[in-house]
Amino acid sequence: MISELAGQYTIKKESAISESFAIYDTFDWRLFNKSFVLYRSGNKLFLRKLAKSAILHTIEITSLPVFIWDFPDGKLKKHLLPIIKMRALLKLVEVLCRSTIYRILNREEKTVARLTYEEILPSRAKDVLALATHLWLKPVKGYPKHSQDLAKQFKEAGFIITKKEDIYFKALKVVDEKPGSYSGKLKIQLDPDMRSDDATKMILHFLLQIIRINEVNIEKDLDTEFLHDFRVAVRRTRSALGQIKNVFPMETTNRFKKDFAFVGELSNQLRDLDVYLLKEDTYKTMLPPVLQNDIDPLFEYLRQKRSKALQNVLNGLRSKKYVKILHDWEAFLNEPREYSKTAANANLPVIYLARKRIYMKYLRVVKAGNLILENTEDEMLHVLRIQCKKLRYLMEFFSSLFPRKKINILIEQLKKLQDNLGDFNDLCVQEEYLFNLTKQLPATHQQFKKTLVAIGSLIGTLDRERQTVKDSFAKIFTDFASPANRKLFRELFASKQ
Amino acid sequence: MATLALYSNKGGVGKTATAVNLSYLAAQAGAKTLICDLDPQSSATYYFRVKPKLKSRAKGFIKGGKHLYKSIKGTDYENLDLLPADFSLRNLDATFAKLRHSKQRLKKILKPFRDRYDLIILDCPVTISILAENILNAVDYTLVPLIPTTLSVRTYRQLLSFCEKNNYKTGKIYTFFSMVDRHKKMHHDLITSVLKEFDGVLQSYIPYLAQIERMGIYREPVVAFAPSSAASKSYQNLWDKVQETILSPVRRK
Repeated sequence: MISELAGQYTIKKESAISESFAIYDTFDWRLFNKSFVLYRSGNKLFLRKLAKSAILHTIEITSLPVFIWDFPDGKLKKHLLPIIKMRALLKLVEVLCRSTIYRILNREEKTVARLTYEEILPSRAKDVLALATHLWLKPVKGYPKHSQDLAKQFKEAGFIITKKEDIYFKALKVVDEKPGSYSGKLKIQLDPDMRSDDATKMILHFLLQIIRINEVNIEKDLDTEFLHDFRVAVRRTRSALGQIKNVFPMETTNRFKKDFAFVGELSNQLRDLDVYLLKEDTYKTMLPPVLQNDIDPLFEYLRQKRSKALQNVLNGLRSKKYVKILHDWEAFLNEPREYSKTAANANLPVIYLARKRIYMKYLRVVKAGNLILENTEDEMLHVLRIQCKKLRYLMEFFSSLFPRKKINILIEQLKKLQDNLGDFNDLCVQEEYLFNLTKQLPATHQQFKKTLVAIGSLIGTLDRERQTVKDSFAKIFTDFASPANRKLFRELFASKQ
Repeated sequence: MATLALYSNKGGVGKTATAVNLSYLAAQAGAKTLICDLDPQSSATYYFRVKPKLKSRAKGFIKGGKHLYKSIKGTDYENLDLLPADFSLRNLDATFAKLRHSKQRLKKILKPFRDRYDLIILDCPVTISILAENILNAVDYTLVPLIPTTLSVRTYRQLLSFCEKNNYKTGKIYTFFSMVDRHKKMHHDLITSVLKEFDGVLQSYIPYLAQIERMGIYREPVVAFAPSSAASKSYQNLWDKVQETILSPVRRK
């Protein structure tokens, strides 16, 4: 095509530019999900929007930042922080892009348009086949006639001049990565008329996949969220077994409930430590400046504990008991359904069971919450938190059965309440945890004495915050239990049988 | 965003060559750059192989805005656009004088471009009339090429006293040595005395070189067709100084 054009225009070939670049994202595609592309080329890191070429932010780097706290302070960090949060950046792919620019000249030998021939290559080696090639036309400002004429000629020659398709997708195809392929969120499409036991197995199957995917990555210890997603999937599995009642034989349900309780406990300690270590910066800012460095030995101590805890978890995941639980579980989910007298709801259309379970749980949450309004006891807040979590899981398991907008409104409302209860619980647990730690730290050393003072100060701050959170409960709960929400809950879930 | 005028009240001092090379270097460094050729002789426009023509001529120029934006042409280089000259600009002085706010006209004309470019470089014609005041009002900084000769230095003195009299900040006016012949003792002596006499003298010398004149044959910035020549090195050095001294955030009071 280019040689054909040479008859009419003077064409000047520029030297080809080869640029290797590597694309990064978190394991759960947080950047992709927000349509961002983060890539490194040379010693620079760039952020741009997907399908756009304008660079939003760029920084020079000496080594590649893995976590947000590895980034130098600045606009890029500010931009990425709310997106990637605590997740590690992983290199998705590294490819070479070789582009050759042909300048189309007019009689004055002035450039009036540019043609770019772009090849994506797997490596710098000679004679490698390009993975993808494309040609695109870039007009030069002020010469619209020429570009229009060129575009027309290309079209007539059967050449489709692609608008610059995002190289991102081409590069990922090279390594067979499908953007957005993993998410810790539940994406299950159920049919309202499905048998309840089949639907439940579908949900559990989905959760098992999440367990499996994350299980292998916990060992690599790239970031804390593999374990977190793993634990959430385990918790959801337990909740599904407990809350979607009478769909499997009683003895099966009881056995796996116990089994998954065991699986969950395996990593309690490690997750606790992860949470505290992630809070390192937050805790420091809570302290008066004179104490800020004194808290360091605490985190040093927690880090040491964490490496032991990680080893324990890995041992647990390799243990015969764990392997057998997961093996049996998988076998159960894959086996053809079993008819059992104990499973009264097994062949009920899932929509009925879903409505019933969600509505009952909702009523229970409202009842428990109303009792707390009369008399706010910490223990009752804890119970309510658990009830809310069960309700939330049920709504998420079955969300595909209900009008998306409406159920999302309710989930959003519930989330606000859960955040309040969750904050309260976290603060209680933290205070207690830190207090117990003071007994473990050897107080003989002068340095540790200062650390104890810092921990004391921290507990004080946490306690004040806890009171604030508690005080805001009444308003948040009343909002959740509002007539408007009640109406919507009734509309979606009140039994129509 | 910054605007920089290559200006002198004396002719033949190397304004256009400097404007063309600096704008090329700025664009290469990644700044979205616009060079405005305000000189009806249209030399800068010629160097970039563009027709010296504005849509709706000087009228369109004075109107500014969208009409003028349509006249802008992309050059042979990425990131570098050119606002071509037009012979009708020769009466710009007279036209500005007839209008209200006659000394702020150019500022107004360029305003919409400030958002679109990182750097705007003006290649100005020789003037010390109302157009000169328009230029001084329109730009953030003025860069005056100075040939180390008595007359050139005298003209520069004139410019500075003109500015002082009319309340233009001389602190935003910078100068550098242009068309320097190092073998001439007079050049050498004048450089020394200029450095003593004035503030805002960039430590940069563009030598008098045939290579620079060849720009008219190649119709390209010398930095583009002979990047490793002495001429290119001196322009690169000037660009570095412009960045360090003028465009970087630490500024002279």
